[in-house]
Amino acid sequence: MPDLINKKTLEYLAGLGRIELDKKHEEKMLGDLQNILGHFDELKEVDTEDVEPLAGGTIETNVFRNDEGFKLPADAKALAGRQVSSSNLTKAFPEKEGDFLKVPPVFE
Amino acid sequence: MSLKNLTIKKFAEGLRNKKFSAFEITKEFFGYIEEEDKNVDAYLRLSKNSALERANKVDVEITKGKELNILAGAPLAIKDNILIEGELCASGSKILENYRASYDATVIKKLKQAGAIFLGKTNMDEFAMGSSTENSAFKTTKNPRDLERVPGGSSGGSAAAVAADMCVAALGSDTGGSIRQPAGFCGIVGLKPTYGAVSRYGLIAMASSLDQIGPLTKTVEDAEILFNAIKGKDSLDSTSVESSKFQVSSFKFQDLKSLTIGLPKEYFATPDFAFDEVDGGRVGGMSKEVVLAMQEVIKSLKSLKIEFKEISLPHTKYALSCYYIIMPAEVSANLARFDGIRYSRASSSKFKASSLKDIYFKTRGEGFGDEAKRRIMLGAFVLSSGYYDAYYAKAQKVRRLIKEDFEKAFKEVDLILTPVSPTPAFEIGEKTEDLLLMYLSDIFTIPLNLAGLPGMSIPVKNLKSELPVGFQLIAKPFHENDIFEVGKFYEKITGVDNK
Repeated sequence: MPDLINKKTLEYLAGLGRIELDKKHEEKMLGDLQNILGHFDELKEVDTEDVEPLAGGTIETNVFRNDEGFKLPADAKALAGRQVSSSNLTKAFPEKEGDFLKVPPVFE
Repeated sequence: MSLKNLTIKKFAEGLRNKKFSAFEITKEFFGYIEEEDKNVDAYLRLSKNSALERANKVDVEITKGKELNILAGAPLAIKDNILIEGELCASGSKILENYRASYDATVIKKLKQAGAIFLGKTNMDEFAMGSSTENSAFKTTKNPRDLERVPGGSSGGSAAAVAADMCVAALGSDTGGSIRQPAGFCGIVGLKPTYGAVSRYGLIAMASSLDQIGPLTKTVEDAEILFNAIKGKDSLDSTSVESSKFQVSSFKFQDLKSLTIGLPKEYFATPDFAFDEVDGGRVGGMSKEVVLAMQEVIKSLKSLKIEFKEISLPHTKYALSCYYIIMPAEVSANLARFDGIRYSRASSSKFKASSLKDIYFKTRGEGFGDEAKRRIMLGAFVLSSGYYDAYYAKAQKVRRLIKEDFEKAFKEVDLILTPVSPTPAFEIGEKTEDLLLMYLSDIFTIPLNLAGLPGMSIPVKNLKSELPVGFQLIAKPFHENDIFEVGKFYEKITGVDNK
């Protein structure tokens, strides 16, 4: 079987993941991924016809609320105590101007 | 007061009987950690000031004669992927080295309300990706039972801190075995709760459909105490579940006779489970120590008149492949938020970055370790068009079959027993070069995360071998209580000191 991932795919995947790859490690990384993907071949032998995919969760029901502000006193109270103060967040900005986050240009 | 084998229960009694104050014992813990942790390296950071301050508050409440929660003053260790407001939280990664949590995780909020004390944050594999703590960006934790060996992972720091008596109990997180496997390796108790039992709000996510926070403790009873303190519905985690879903069972000794425990025939070669030199224990290839330990625990449980029955989990042998598709897919999405701007303090000037994209590539290239990079790229691959159906969709279908295997089995039995890991703790460096071998150490724990089931690692008693071995009890969803009851009886008959 031809390898599913070659050097070009690896670079493409690293690009998708916004990861600058260390050239020295590329070969090992490629080998590792090929190895792991090879192991997945065993899944081909499982008959999954008519099986519904399972995304996870113990109770497979969705949680809904009305598209409006919280009215229930219990929820309001629960949330009031939990609000993350904005100063805690702005403190974590690597660079800022006033209360704004400063980053290099998005467009070149 | 000896810190050795000090449990939550004994601590609470000592505090009430004025054998010590919360302040005194917290100070004693820090003194002991300073010595002992030079060898073990369980903690990444200690929070002396805030811990002593909180201990003082508990002592003041005692003098006022206030009714105390059982966890009041209890010195705990917290895995470094659980947020405590104002404290550094790196999740074992360089990329979060300077990140200070801006809020409390729900479990922390609950424990603070109960009056518990946090001694510090414990070491872990980067973003909880690993089975040995060797993937930590900071250091490798050693197994307190044998310093040449790994403590397991990813909650290895928490497990080692408990096993070395550097706290009374700890919190960890479990995505594929990260609480149970290190508990087994270090000879302590570890519980992965039912998916949805404990809020994940404030847990740095690895794979959201698999992650659960749970306790690592010295006894089953302590695990029950800590679990009851952190479980329940949280409006900030929509997958968390109302407490009314939990099944409360309280067995008396004579009720044990009516219990049936299942032994998966795919793991145990024969019903009487003799060790087969050729094939080990079949799936997962249990080592001889583990086989002997399983024989020992089955013998003890049989003496309680519990019945054993052979069951079949035919799809669990695919669990590893299934997990290593689903988990990286979720990882690649969850780790996208670490972009070098949010949650970090690396400035653009540091990288001489000329564009935003530049910062992303440079911070992530430098900040993530190899395992995180591998999983991000693997996740992107299995989700990519052309491969989605063959990998991700296929794995989700196999995931359902694995869950259905358990549902079928639980029609016939109340609990299922397996080993926690195929071998006892391995040596540091032994498996770092062989990824698949490392991944295999979670073969018995991964199926539960895929199926959302609760499972506990309990140390096997009366072992001839020196290294600890854990057995795993698996229950139906929200039946944690069944595990606690049987686990407590097991400890009682094997002489675990619970007084």
